[in-house]
Amino acid sequence: MFEKQLLAWLRVPPEPAPPDGSPDSIRIFRAGRNYYYWRLLTWGLSQAGVVLLGAMILMGTFNNFTRQIPAPFRLISMWIEAAGLVAVLLSLPITFFMQRLNYRLRWYIVTDRSLRIRSGIWSVEELTMTYANIQDLAVTSGPLQGLLGLADIEVRSAGGGGGSDESAKRKHAARFEGVENADALRDLIAERLRRYRDAGLGDPDQPLETIADPHAAALRVLEEARALRAATTGA
Amino acid sequence: MTEPIPSHIAAITRPVDKLMHYYVLRSLAETVAFPVTIIVRYFRFHTMKYVFSDEGIRMSWGILFRHEIMLNYARIQDIHLRSNAVERWLGLARIEIQTASGGSSEMTLEGLTDTEAMRDFLYSRMRGASDKTHGNPAATESARLAHVLEEIAAELKAIRTATEAQRRV
Repeated sequence: MFEKQLLAWLRVPPEPAPPDGSPDSIRIFRAGRNYYYWRLLTWGLSQAGVVLLGAMILMGTFNNFTRQIPAPFRLISMWIEAAGLVAVLLSLPITFFMQRLNYRLRWYIVTDRSLRIRSGIWSVEELTMTYANIQDLAVTSGPLQGLLGLADIEVRSAGGGGGSDESAKRKHAARFEGVENADALRDLIAERLRRYRDAGLGDPDQPLETIADPHAAALRVLEEARALRAATTGA
Repeated sequence: MTEPIPSHIAAITRPVDKLMHYYVLRSLAETVAFPVTIIVRYFRFHTMKYVFSDEGIRMSWGILFRHEIMLNYARIQDIHLRSNAVERWLGLARIEIQTASGGSSEMTLEGLTDTEAMRDFLYSRMRGASDKTHGNPAATESARLAHVLEEIAAELKAIRTATEAQRRV
């Protein structure tokens, strides 16, 4: 109930429409059940880290070195730090709740022509990419993800760059985060991608598809024409 | 080869006024930087222009620092539709278009009302979105030629078998 209210208040759009493609090829994947626990775990660890760091800084205010700072400044900085720590603690239930929503509101749509990925709550992001533009596929999974049976599949297009600019890389990639049946999904994408032999940049060496050879077909016509002449001139 | 673009897309030349409202809110959120960012955004909004032609998009903005970006529909790699809660309250969204030239988004379309229709339009013009744009034209050409030749061979064979049958009678 509260969830519904929150989603309405944040104006989160409903489930995304699949991109154009043949209707029976559309398959919608969701993040695996364990992805929720994976999110909770990473969330918990990062929050614990923040709280610990805050507490340490607060403790640091009482040590001998900082005693040399004039009293009013020390008092002000102490108050700011305490307020920050309280803010972090207060935000805990909200961010905890967001993990669940983020897990639930994820769609990975695969059609015979393209991919569409929807994710996010506050900031909603939807990505559409055609197979014709795909450069490579990557499946990654850490040890913990492996234990939970999860993996991330990243489908990349050209231009992401190999530099350290993470945001640029992310913009040129479709990420299927925390999927359970990663191998099956990877095979599905790879299989559909195979039909686009000219996908990505650069031309393949071999001609597309082993299509019928017009020369061979013309020879067959000639053969038939000769046989026909033989038949009509009365052999 | 290029077909004319739908009229509702061609009609877009300017962002909607709501974009300016969003800019004001954004600048307000930046508190101290407000006087500077609001001026930049004010001029950005009032000089922003879109031209959707048959081949591609041209977007321009700025007076002192002019920007003009042109890109071809066929060169679009992926389309991102992004929005935060504030934008959604105003009925706005951004469409970020990536080409293969690297780096961040090559073009960000802002201040459009029907972003879904725009996304579908861009998608339809992307490489690989429909059969027309996919595949080597020479390859399909020779495939068609081979097909016709096969048909002729089949016809000839049919004539031959027919005449042979007549002779036997």
